[in-house]
Amino acid sequence: MKLHQKGYLLITLSRSGSLWDYDLIKRALHEYSESGAFREKTLNIALDELSAAGLINRIEQKLETDGNQSKLRFKYKLSDFGISRMVDTGLLLP
Amino acid sequence: MANISTSAKFRDAIAPDTSLKSALHKHYLRNQRWGFMWALWTAILWGAWYVPGTALWSEFPYVDIAADQQSLRLAATAVMTWVHAITVFLFLLLWNAVLGKVKDYGRTMVRFKTISKWYALASLCGGPLAIFGSYMAMGFIGPVFAAISSLFYPVIGAIIARLWYKEKISRRAAIGMCIIIFGGMIIYGPGLFGEMNESNPNAWLGYLGGIMSAIGWGTEGAVAARAMDVSDPDVGIHCRFSFEILFWGILILPALALLTDLPIAALVINTVTHSKAMLWILLAAACHAYCYTAFYKSFSLIGVGRGEAIGNLYAVFALIFIAAFTLQFPQWYFVLGLIFTVLGSFVMFSESAESIANLRDIDQPGAH
Repeated sequence: MKLHQKGYLLITLSRSGSLWDYDLIKRALHEYSESGAFREKTLNIALDELSAAGLINRIEQKLETDGNQSKLRFKYKLSDFGISRMVDTGLLLP
Repeated sequence: MANISTSAKFRDAIAPDTSLKSALHKHYLRNQRWGFMWALWTAILWGAWYVPGTALWSEFPYVDIAADQQSLRLAATAVMTWVHAITVFLFLLLWNAVLGKVKDYGRTMVRFKTISKWYALASLCGGPLAIFGSYMAMGFIGPVFAAISSLFYPVIGAIIARLWYKEKISRRAAIGMCIIIFGGMIIYGPGLFGEMNESNPNAWLGYLGGIMSAIGWGTEGAVAARAMDVSDPDVGIHCRFSFEILFWGILILPALALLTDLPIAALVINTVTHSKAMLWILLAAACHAYCYTAFYKSFSLIGVGRGEAIGNLYAVFALIFIAAFTLQFPQWYFVLGLIFTVLGSFVMFSESAESIANLRDIDQPGAH
């Protein structure tokens, strides 16, 4: 059975060091064979929640302009607190 | 001309930075608003829940149970809580099916040893302790007492969240929380005298129920947040109710049926076959399912302490719903209490969006 989605986001960050949100979301959508703006938004909210809880840090941000719309992008990195919570919840080995 | 050109250049140089800052502020503000909005929905639906929750006691098979039939009344409370939990589960299944999160529910449930055990513990706090306690308070003393006793749960939740995982509780958040609780006390305090009946020999069970609900709901938020750190709140609340169904259905009710002569099976059958009782349970469960969903979603955006404190506005909404359905209008002091609760909410909401972007008191180098 696949990992739950927030678990997957954390594991992917722990393996990659740091990633931009669009890259992380692209990988998650591929992993769960999902697509569409709604799924993207759901994953973005998950990243906001992980960041608010202090499990991941926003280490960089930029504005990307796509036509008339500009999108705020974040680069995320797992925090030390995130690593300890991943160990607590069996997502990482101690 | 030269000046204009210089200032234009200067504007061009700072524009990207300014627009990035403005976009960041908007992002944090949006998250803060969503967090408070979810907490407000918690309060509205929780307030609404008191109407069917109380009305259920006026229907067969519950209406026939006399106040002095202590053990039968407790057994009836256990049965209604179990049937209620099953109905909540079905509403949550619908919710997660619409959001496309049913598979994630399965993936989270199976990780019992490391993740879903926290939801199991949260279900013990929020179910057998809090919901059962609240039904006890309603049944043995009255709905006003049930509502007032739960007012203190955010204090318990905020303290545990602070001690357990360093949730930031700013001075402003703490002041706002106190003002909201004070407002709730003004609303319900005077009415409490009418409900207190010295000749009621089982009143102590109502008091016990009130304490259980405050401790249960306060602890639940902090316990659930342990698992919600690494899992989805919509899925989390679904896991929590799955475990509550199992606790009542596999452990508590069978134990009561086997070890006592209480008519558990008859109560279950009479509840599910009696359309009026089921209608109230259905309405209560619809309120509770989405109240709880909003509750859990607010925790992950504004924290357990703030989510629970705004959720306390249920004190206001409960009276508004009771007035709407029974035409029993609240006393003048309701307006005073309302002013305090709204003031407390604004004090909490006036925290900067950026400060709520990081809920934990941990080092976040370079973070926003």
